[in-house]
Amino acid sequence: MGHNTAIRRFDAKKAGQPLDLFESASRVPVVLELLATPWIRRGSQIEGPRRCEVEVPVDWDADRARPCAFTWKEKRYVIDALVQQWAVDALWWDRPRARSRRCFRVIARGGVYDLAYDRIGGRWLLVGVVD
Amino acid sequence: MSGFVHLHVHSTFSFMDGAVPLDGLIERAKQLGMGACALTDHQGLYGAMRFYKKARAADLRPILGAEVVVEAAGVFGQEADLPPASRLLLPLSVGSARARASGFHLTLLVRNMTGYRNLCTLLSRAHLRADTAEDDLGGTRSVVTLVDLARLSEGLIGLSGCTNGEVGASVLADVRSRAREAAQRLAGCFAPGDFYIELVHTMTPESSGYISALASLAGSLDLPVVATNDVHYLKRTDAPLHDVLAAVGARSALPNPYARTNSELFFKSATDMRRLFSGYPSACDATLEIAARCDLDLGLGQFHFPSVEVPRNETPYSVLSKMAWRGLEERYRPVTPESVRRLQHELAVIEQLGFPEYFLVVKDIVDFARSKAIRFSGRGSAGDSIVSYVLGITDADPIEHSLLFERFLNPARRQMPDIDVDFDSARRDEIIAYIYKHFGARHVAMVATVNTMTAKSAVRCAAKALGHKADSINALSRHLPWVSARKIREVLATYPECRSHPLRDEARHGMLLDIAEKLDKAPTHLGTHLGGFLITKEPVDTWSPLQWAAKGTVVSQYDKDDIEMLGLVKMDILGLRMHSAISETVELARARVGTDAVPEPFTLPHDDPRVYDTISAADTVGMFQLESSGQRNLAQRLQERTFEDIIAAISLFRPGPLEAEMITPFIRRRHGLEKVVVPHPGMGPALADSYGVIIYQEQVLQVVRAVAGYTLAEADSFRRAMTKDRSRAEMESLHGEFVRRSVALGSTEAAAEEVFRQLAGFAAYGFNKAHAACFAVVSYASAWLKTYYPAEFAAAIVNNEPMGFYSPRLVLDDARRHGIAILHPHVNASSADCTVEDDGRAIRVGLKGLHNMNARLLRAIRDERTVRPFDDLTDFLRRTRAESDAAESLIKVGALDSLGVTDAGRPPTRDEQLVLLPELKAVLAREGSAGERALLLAPSRAREATDLGHPSGWDVVRRLGAELELTGLAITCHPLELAAGDLESRGVTWAKDLARCGDRTRIKVAGVRERAQTPRTRSGKRVCFLTLEDHTGLLDVVVFPEALQRSGETIVKHRCYIVEGVLQNNAERGIAVVADVVLPYVVRAPSGDPVRLRRGVGTAPMGPFRGSAGHSDEEEWEIAEAETAGLPT
Repeated sequence: MGHNTAIRRFDAKKAGQPLDLFESASRVPVVLELLATPWIRRGSQIEGPRRCEVEVPVDWDADRARPCAFTWKEKRYVIDALVQQWAVDALWWDRPRARSRRCFRVIARGGVYDLAYDRIGGRWLLVGVVD
Repeated sequence: MSGFVHLHVHSTFSFMDGAVPLDGLIERAKQLGMGACALTDHQGLYGAMRFYKKARAADLRPILGAEVVVEAAGVFGQEADLPPASRLLLPLSVGSARARASGFHLTLLVRNMTGYRNLCTLLSRAHLRADTAEDDLGGTRSVVTLVDLARLSEGLIGLSGCTNGEVGASVLADVRSRAREAAQRLAGCFAPGDFYIELVHTMTPESSGYISALASLAGSLDLPVVATNDVHYLKRTDAPLHDVLAAVGARSALPNPYARTNSELFFKSATDMRRLFSGYPSACDATLEIAARCDLDLGLGQFHFPSVEVPRNETPYSVLSKMAWRGLEERYRPVTPESVRRLQHELAVIEQLGFPEYFLVVKDIVDFARSKAIRFSGRGSAGDSIVSYVLGITDADPIEHSLLFERFLNPARRQMPDIDVDFDSARRDEIIAYIYKHFGARHVAMVATVNTMTAKSAVRCAAKALGHKADSINALSRHLPWVSARKIREVLATYPECRSHPLRDEARHGMLLDIAEKLDKAPTHLGTHLGGFLITKEPVDTWSPLQWAAKGTVVSQYDKDDIEMLGLVKMDILGLRMHSAISETVELARARVGTDAVPEPFTLPHDDPRVYDTISAADTVGMFQLESSGQRNLAQRLQERTFEDIIAAISLFRPGPLEAEMITPFIRRRHGLEKVVVPHPGMGPALADSYGVIIYQEQVLQVVRAVAGYTLAEADSFRRAMTKDRSRAEMESLHGEFVRRSVALGSTEAAAEEVFRQLAGFAAYGFNKAHAACFAVVSYASAWLKTYYPAEFAAAIVNNEPMGFYSPRLVLDDARRHGIAILHPHVNASSADCTVEDDGRAIRVGLKGLHNMNARLLRAIRDERTVRPFDDLTDFLRRTRAESDAAESLIKVGALDSLGVTDAGRPPTRDEQLVLLPELKAVLAREGSAGERALLLAPSRAREATDLGHPSGWDVVRRLGAELELTGLAITCHPLELAAGDLESRGVTWAKDLARCGDRTRIKVAGVRERAQTPRTRSGKRVCFLTLEDHTGLLDVVVFPEALQRSGETIVKHRCYIVEGVLQNNAERGIAVVADVVLPYVVRAPSGDPVRLRRGVGTAPMGPFRGSAGHSDEEEWEIAEAETAGLPT
């Protein structure tokens, strides 16, 4: 006990996801607790039906060199925290299958999302959603 | 705090696990505003000296270091002893050749000179211990032990390593206790504050957790953290190149075997690094603190000589001086005032520059060689010194040949002297053994060379990485000329011999070519210098890391330039096969005519007209430095009559003199076709020997002294300034100073201007006369031996192959043209080597070069023959136990001809012996050696004899084909002799008749290929110089670009040609055929049977010759160019 207490106390609306968990003023402790949650960083372990590949528009924060918001299903998601980032470059010698991406795991509106910038196609993709 | 310094960088000197070029690294670090940068290649300091020098020149602080493989610190014993669940996966092995090791990584950085010496020792101990370690006992090869690390860590800073460090690997494997134990033990090896936990953000999903775990561990152990990026390439876009190198280094195809999933290990900016480690600013700050603490000063500019023993109350100078004066009395009889003045001057300069020890070291080595009668000769600019001459190091009198000491040692420039000495190749090992014994094994190591990628190796490397099979790799790299990798596309597009090359399919092989081009000059592995030895006063491993070379000697990780930079002594103990050949010729000749009848060829007076007749008739095959096609052409034009002419010939056929077009005026003036004119009377005496043409560097010094009154030291500095790349302002300054001083000395301004113009044109191209004079001594000796003992000379040349310009086949063909019979090898007559028979009128081919022959069988034949000759095949097989394949070769070349008697009352034919061979071997295998003459020759199923008149039963085509295939020699006759009728009917002119044909006549010649060279030409066009041979002599063919377009593919893919073209035959240009077209020709006997030329006549890409003995690698290009460039263009 004692873990995730801020999350537990949070009065979530019943309208269902996706919703913004952080309309109230107490969002910071929640984000901090989320960031401290072990599973949140295990990017490689998150698999299953929620892996997707959808092109999304992303706002880029050039000063901090990270995304600051993205729009998905006509909803704008302001990014509250960057959980981690990684890069993938593979199969450059096999052009049809080549992959070069910079990935960001972010917290936005209470959810955890994986965004990827596809360097070959020059586009942003939403590649994962973790409820 | 802002800023960042990269402390973990792998350059291309990490050998296949690093793609950062040193120049690019320094440029990038400066671009990104970094004040310092480290170089930490795997397992050594291979690129450290170059990096140190270049970085300091660019005002970047170089931090030297290495990423070493260290034994496990977090567990006791070997990894393999742990329970499987507790074992960590060891990283792939890293490092070059025998310095390769598998284990955990540790980054070491040098703080100061103590740290540098300790790192050298640490690496050397790890690498050299490897030879006694057993690889299958857990892999301790080239692994640094913790005991050594603790003992030798002073002056070093340790970083815990990348994800392949034990601490990092334990964290990744979630074995925190081991990570803690390893960090504690490693930190304990260093002084407090000298060990850091290294944080590398590899941008994988695990990275942030990895870093926070390491930071937490460091905090709990009170250890500082430092951020690095484990740099393996400069920019993200260079990552594919690194992937290819890594894959090939691990002998696998892509993907790279290190399981790196992205391209993030590049040289990131300080901003990027600080952003990446935004949660750990102290880790970035630590890079700056460490950089500030690393302040290595290698003390460049000082010299460090090996210790020389001198008697009590003597100094190296006094000992050298006494030796020199004694030598003067021996060399000069009588001693002349000039020689005394010269020696006094040189000794004073040597003392002033502090080099007496160096001369004593060289003297000591050559004295040993002399005491053991090992032939040697000094060469290079050392020949400019009377001290070298009187000490017996060189053999050309510097006063007689106007050689100038200042060209060798300039008192105005304190630079390590370099005395090169060539020793008899066959006995070089004795010299080497002496050096190790005399200076101590701990004070001697061989000098390294760094082997780099060329077009061929780059294509093979790229193809291998891209997953091509062996056959495909061979097909893609075949017929590629010897050019740099960056020129592959250009070569494929323009070279006629590449017209049907598979790599021209850009759609299919475009990526392969892209990669290959980028691999240009990438170091592939550490090699060993042909004869360079590093000799030091302190143990050599305190100056340079050492490792085992492939052939079992200890080699430094530094090449000759690195060693020179450190101020250490490098001795070139080069083997010269010509010395071996000369010694062997003398030995063979003395055995035939008596010891007293054959004088020592190096001490002969250089005035024998018969020798000069031989040279000027271009009959120079086998002669040192005078035998190439270019030199033969020059001999026809020059008509050498004196020793000075030989020096001139050697000097004129060099790229510089050729590029400056010195040959034509020299020849024209020599033959009185052009007037000798010099713009200033002061130039006259200096250029008298060369008809007013500046050929030698020494002449530049003399002219500058005579015209402008420079001292010789100033004149040498002037010459050097003229030869290097200089700015316009520097040139103006040299010009102004020269003209001013000339005018002050009484010259007119116009004359001074003209002299300067000539100097500017020629100074860069002159050749070192001392070098040529030293070579000329050997050239004359070889010419004398060829003139008086041609059979012994030819036999000795063949016995010491590979050497010189020509193949052994051609050397024997040449001997045959001199009336010497060539006898086929025979088990009752041949030795291993070629021997001379019939009082110098015949050469018996030896058994050594026979295909499938082996050392054991050679010994057995020699030993058994001392008992009694072999009777027949059975007797031979029984007594020697010859292997089937070797016996088959012996039968086929006629080494068992005429032995034994068959039922038919005659010796068996070769076919009959070949049929009997397996049966006899089977019987011998059953009966052992007990059966005495139990076997009867009973040929049954053998082929019908094709020539009953010959004891072999083989016709000439079969005999010649077997000889060419199994010995590489044409023993029976020259192949074209068989096709003479056919060729004459086609209107072919023979080589011996060319001199009688008029200049500019249309002509058709035929010959087998000896050489095809394409040196760089002034115009940049590609011209092929083809050396062919028919049975009457040698043919020189020039194929200009237009004809080369038509014939390039034929030249590369065939061995024998008919050439149609125009003959050039005049005194000014010599004899050569300018080809219109080169056509393939299949040699057939009158019977119609084709002669197979393979092995006897090779095919190869056009280009410089490789593998010539007697020349260093760096001279290969130069010589190859020079050898042919004298032909008309």
